[in-house]
Amino acid sequence: MKFVLIDRIVELEPGQRVVGCKALSLAEEYLADHFPAFPVLPGVLLMEAMVQASAWVVRQHLDFAPSLVVLKEARNITYKSFLAPGQLLTVESECKSLEPGESSFVAHGLVGGKEIVKSRLTLRHLSLADQDPELADLDERLRNEQRKLFKLLWQGRPSGVAADAPVG
Amino acid sequence: MATMPREQIFEKVQQALVEALSVEEDEVTEEATLTGDLQAESIDILDIVFRLEKSFSIKISQEELTPRDVLSNADYVTDRRLNDVGLKALRERIPHADWSKFEQDPDIDKILDVFTVGTIVSFVESKLAESN
Amino acid sequence: MRWIWFDRFEEFVPGERAVGIKNVSLAEDHLHDHFPGFPIQPASLMIEGMAQTAGILVGHARGFKEKVILAKVKRATFHQLVRPGQQIRFVANIESIGESAATTHGEIRCGDDLVGEVDLVFSHIDQNMSGLEFPEENFVFTEEFMALLDTYRQKSTERVKL
Repeated sequence: MKFVLIDRIVELEPGQRVVGCKALSLAEEYLADHFPAFPVLPGVLLMEAMVQASAWVVRQHLDFAPSLVVLKEARNITYKSFLAPGQLLTVESECKSLEPGESSFVAHGLVGGKEIVKSRLTLRHLSLADQDPELADLDERLRNEQRKLFKLLWQGRPSGVAADAPVG
Repeated sequence: MATMPREQIFEKVQQALVEALSVEEDEVTEEATLTGDLQAESIDILDIVFRLEKSFSIKISQEELTPRDVLSNADYVTDRRLNDVGLKALRERIPHADWSKFEQDPDIDKILDVFTVGTIVSFVESKLAESN
Repeated sequence: MRWIWFDRFEEFVPGERAVGIKNVSLAEDHLHDHFPGFPIQPASLMIEGMAQTAGILVGHARGFKEKVILAKVKRATFHQLVRPGQQIRFVANIESIGESAATTHGEIRCGDDLVGEVDLVFSHIDQNMSGLEFPEENFVFTEEFMALLDTYRQKSTERVKL
């Protein structure tokens, strides 16, 4: 399966802020386990959506130099409500600091303008060649994959379709 | 056990709030309201209670800090607002808080707005006095 | 993708501590997309592994009466990447438990290495989220999750001879 928790990047202020969205569908298999009688997006995937949205700020700003952008620390992820199939999650993440190797964000998840989750995130940015110069080709492959995905999420709407996000 | 000065209690409460709410130290003043100024959610209040218990070695029951039993008592609540009997019960239950503002608009959904950092400090102060 | 993020209990001390084991395998689809060409176990799914290990421990401590859900991640810190072929352990300890909530402290270990630390707050939602609608029945502790607890009872079957 795809491990992509942001369907579309709606706004991106370079190095500053991102707004992304994720539409939840009952067709997503894991909802059958979480939970059969009450399908909702698992809380950790709300966080994953916030991490992925934030990582686009890092990649875009550093021109995809780090091949891996991963979670180093999450603080006080507070859940207030659930995301159910048929609903649209909007993730807003504001960059607090952005260094070559590390960045920090304050992120919120909203449904219909109402906040359902918030968190502080610290991301680590790595390249495999820093561990082993022989792995530089792997870095390049990872960068290319991320560039392709970024293009899909940021500009991937059919021409003639308005750039507006669907109404939450 | 020697009594702990209020400033020292405040510092420990401040530390618990900084950690539980990801706020800056200077935001945590005596007057700051928990749900308003510091944007605490109800689950944060539970987190804070557990932190205070650990930090001060005290036991806090749920009802002491958030008066759930008062709010869920049908005799006290009319149309999601506390009536006079309810307000009296509330003042007896939580004497440390300043209820004057809440009494003007006793909407039970706004009850947490009353709790300030100072309320928590006074609450801990009285708990520590009890255990002495 | 199924939503079960550890494989079995290695240790279960009721009301206190539990250790869940998770084998990270390339047979799991998500690793092929996280990331293409360089699979690593996502941090979010390691937090979930800890939440499931700790959540069953918390639910068990009060006879599975309440619907125990993850309400807050106080802190999740990661020190090391986890890759396919590695086995990780979710070591969960109950810090405090009450009528309406519980807190747990957890370590994620890979062999002798500390991979991460995850501190959680669980809420018994009947008592805390009265404004939201959810089913009466205990929808959290499904047969699937209860089967995980059973893995501990079935420990002897790990050496069934044929």
